[in-house]
Amino acid sequence: MKEKVIALIEEILKVPSGTVTEETMIEDVEQWDSLAHVMIIGALEEKLGISIPLEEAIELTGMKELLEKIG
Amino acid sequence: MKIGLLSNTNMDFVVRQLRQGGTALSVYEPEGYGNELGMLLDGDSSYHAFAPEITFIIEDLMELLGHDLDLCNAEAKVESWFIEAESALRTDSIYYISDAYLWGPELDVVQESGRKAALEQIWQKRLESCVLRHANVRILPYRRMIEKLGEEAAFSLKMWYMGRILLSGEAQKRLCACILETVETETRTPRKVLLLDLDNTLWGGLAGEALQDPVKLSEEHTGLAYKNLQRVILQMQRQGVLLGIVSKNNEEDAMEILTGHPHMILRPQCFAVKKINWKQKHENILEIAKELNLGEDSFVFFDDSPAERALVKELLPEVAVPDFPEKAEDLAPAMIKIYKKYFAKPVLTGEDLEKTAQYAANAKRNELKNAASNFEEYLRQLQITLGRVEPGLFSGRMAQLVNKTNQFNLTTKRYTQLQLQQMLEDKEKRIYLYRSADRFGDNGVIAVVIVDTSGEIPVVEEFAMSCRVMGRRLEYAIMTDVEQDIKTAGFRCLRGLYLPTKKNKPVAELYRQLGYRPIQEQPDGGTVYEIEMTQIPERVYYVVKEAEADERKSNCVD
Repeated sequence: MKEKVIALIEEILKVPSGTVTEETMIEDVEQWDSLAHVMIIGALEEKLGISIPLEEAIELTGMKELLEKIG
Repeated sequence: MKIGLLSNTNMDFVVRQLRQGGTALSVYEPEGYGNELGMLLDGDSSYHAFAPEITFIIEDLMELLGHDLDLCNAEAKVESWFIEAESALRTDSIYYISDAYLWGPELDVVQESGRKAALEQIWQKRLESCVLRHANVRILPYRRMIEKLGEEAAFSLKMWYMGRILLSGEAQKRLCACILETVETETRTPRKVLLLDLDNTLWGGLAGEALQDPVKLSEEHTGLAYKNLQRVILQMQRQGVLLGIVSKNNEEDAMEILTGHPHMILRPQCFAVKKINWKQKHENILEIAKELNLGEDSFVFFDDSPAERALVKELLPEVAVPDFPEKAEDLAPAMIKIYKKYFAKPVLTGEDLEKTAQYAANAKRNELKNAASNFEEYLRQLQITLGRVEPGLFSGRMAQLVNKTNQFNLTTKRYTQLQLQQMLEDKEKRIYLYRSADRFGDNGVIAVVIVDTSGEIPVVEEFAMSCRVMGRRLEYAIMTDVEQDIKTAGFRCLRGLYLPTKKNKPVAELYRQLGYRPIQEQPDGGTVYEIEMTQIPERVYYVVKEAEADERKSNCVD
């Protein structure tokens, strides 16, 4: 699942494979702006059935946190 | 091509996707979102500075209504939105405004099941009247896109809460595709004729063996798949696609099915031309091209036989030969793709809707041509009439004539919507638009002449005529009429310009034939011709002016 999540995020950000890792912080990726963030949260639900609650989604800072929430 | 996307919701990601799409499109980057009217109304906005050639306006009806579902209030809000938007339309841009799909959480608890449709209808009616009033406004089929995807997959409440992004990732992807398709439709020249095989194409099985084994065409199974294919083709025909049959059959067998089979949707009169014989298909196609006076690049050939397709591809490379679906259930969807790829037009004119009748009449005229002992007798028997129409009332058709005519076009100058509009208002441009009819039917508006009178000597800077009516000396009648008018206005000379292109050879000698003399060769290969009004020669043509024809008719009644 982790690989799928990372691949999906990279696809939305249009960045080369390997750019996003389990340790990546959102603020370190130029393309990961607030607009892309909304699209990522939407796509996780649409494509992978992963629903991150609204309030938590807004406060996410990095991949580690995101992957923890997915479990 | 420059395009812009305006919306009352957040469409930034759609814009981003379009910009990253790797296409030749240049896409306007809006400042912020949700301020579509502000951008339109503010003449100094970055939107107006960017000046898109096509502007897409995606309007969410629920936002516009402010969640007020009262019908009267909705009427008022929709009306005021359109009044403002219409006041800000640029004449040099084409606008696609979305039709409405109303979406919001409270709709699921509204008791009245018709309320959603009634509110959407208010938008639809007003949008349609806007389209009628503005030649450069068209409808973007947004609603159909949402319906095909399904409401639950198309909208996301979470994304709406997070960033006022209305559409899901998938819906945004489809909207991008829809926009790109629309841009493509606006820019390419559509093809004109769909050539169809019969056996195993319009029906299953062989007409020649129908006695032993009836063809498959019915209300069920494979037979229904063929019937639905015909339904799609009939709708295409109604929207101006000409149909032709190119089939190896005994004509009698095929006609029996075409006229008599209870499940045929396409009847003989639907086809502008039929070649049902045992000749090679490419020969038949060349004959059709000649009869309809169209280039090979006007045709699409649909045939189940890979061998026939390969042969046509090889020998007539400009004819489009799409693949034939392997399964019967894919027939109708394959035809829909063919329509979108080759035939779809941004707007249908009255001319499009009457095309088949016009071309079929042409085929009959050709028969008369063969029967009449000589050409002049043939022209006389045709009883051709010619009349001027008010250009402002037919600006859509005028644009079509100017921009799409290749063969009978003396200068092949192309004009944008805005330039045409300006010419219509320009007192120094005299625009003559002609319609023509004959004993076989109305040909509609067929020619345009634009004379620039700003200089000392007026110049014909545009003369285009539909290829449907070429070869009838109508051009003699038209120029004689134009010269009369110019003479009445007090001018003593008239000049004409011919600019050669690959396709307009047929009119290379026109001015000479009309008695003009060449006075100047231009560096671009063009030639300027001139005639003095007193030197206009007697010209032989068999065209009656419309008013005179009407008089003659009323005389007969008396």
